[in-house]
Amino acid sequence: MTTELTSAGRPFVHHHSAHCESGVLVALFRDKGVELTESLIFGIGSGIFFAHLPFIKWVGLPITTFRSRPGSLLTKVSKRLGAKFIAKKYRNAEKGMTELRERLREGRLVGLTTNIYWLSYMPERFRFQFNGHNIVILREIENGFRVSDPVLDRPVDCSTEDLERARFARGPLEPKGFMYWAESVKPDPDLRPACIAGMKDACNMMLRAPFPFIGIRGMRRLARATIKSPEKLGFKDACRRLANIVRMQEEVGTGGAGFRFMYAAFLQEAAELFASDDLAGLSREMTAIGDIWREFAVVSARIIKQRGQSEETFAKAGGLMLICAGREEQLFRDLDKIARKLKA
Amino acid sequence: MKVNEVPQDALTYYEGIKRACFALNDEGKYVVVASTGSNEEATANGLAVDELAATLEETRRAVLAGEKSPLCYHMERRQMNPDILGKTAGIAVFRVKRHFRPDIFPRLKPSVLNRYAQALAVTVEELRTVPR
Repeated sequence: MTTELTSAGRPFVHHHSAHCESGVLVALFRDKGVELTESLIFGIGSGIFFAHLPFIKWVGLPITTFRSRPGSLLTKVSKRLGAKFIAKKYRNAEKGMTELRERLREGRLVGLTTNIYWLSYMPERFRFQFNGHNIVILREIENGFRVSDPVLDRPVDCSTEDLERARFARGPLEPKGFMYWAESVKPDPDLRPACIAGMKDACNMMLRAPFPFIGIRGMRRLARATIKSPEKLGFKDACRRLANIVRMQEEVGTGGAGFRFMYAAFLQEAAELFASDDLAGLSREMTAIGDIWREFAVVSARIIKQRGQSEETFAKAGGLMLICAGREEQLFRDLDKIARKLKA
Repeated sequence: MKVNEVPQDALTYYEGIKRACFALNDEGKYVVVASTGSNEEATANGLAVDELAATLEETRRAVLAGEKSPLCYHMERRQMNPDILGKTAGIAVFRVKRHFRPDIFPRLKPSVLNRYAQALAVTVEELRTVPR
């Protein structure tokens, strides 16, 4: 842990997080004197999700996501914990940068949404055109800003030019300089109703989404498509698709196995909060599901690496995903029932 | 995933940073563990990176052979597509695509070139050429 100073001169402890958005929220809440863990924020904001969107292409490949839309954690968490956040977008880049400096001068801790490609402090191979990476700005320094990027293990420097490019990058999901800060935070937020709301919302999204691409249905759909993919697309293209899924699961902002372990950690904390054995059981089940997702990644990596020479097949990879879908469906059905019975 | 199962495959492209992972400790409680990356992740990332590099190299050769303009190379180097580049530079997509033609590109006005250079974070001289 590194101790840094914020623009207000308060000490800031950089917290290494698994996911960028929840990590930023942990920092913003802590600056206001409320200590929450990353997994708790992830659970309260219903961060767990699944969607496979074949019609939205990113570098020519369909998008697969294991977490909710970027930006939704902020709105959901602040609403459920009774915190007031101010969030702004800008048309004019200059204005956006001036306002950032003003907020820092007021001594606030500011969260920003950026494009990860233009953040040059990131290792080269993490940099790609993705417009949903969240970071915390600590203070202005010479020719740049001191940045606490939650997914890195220490604070870093970022030049003004890079930051401006990253904030005002164009393309899908433009951040438009999106900037947010905590106006007021309830000193002792009531966690129990917030957890219940988060759980119910997550169950709704996973089980009852009206589109076949989302939630458990989306997972099954993708699993079936994966099994058929080598015949339909040819081995090479099928590998590209599979690699993209693994990348989204293991690399793009995750605490392991596509956020499943983070959600299991949330369920464990909730079990303690409500003194509920049922929730503790669900946490163990979620861990087991996460382990199967990990196995899916291992099997997929073998297929990709050995170019058809290995024992592993697309049918096995898709089959593992079907197992995940089945067990997650049961888990969210149980969670839905339990959450309804919990007393706030 | 238990703490001792957190992948520690020491990926070189992490450049010394670590990623946080959730894992169970001996008492069955979740803790955050720093990971140096997993080989599975590297395989998936490697495929994507190799593919980008291969397309870029192909484009570079095409530019040198006079089939495409250097603008196309610099766009791909920034992992953009005509849509993103057009929006960033403030130039309509159909014009961007037209400027990929090697016969059109050399005739562009300096003002247009400047906008491309600004959007791609390169100098105008760099924009006119590709590395040999």
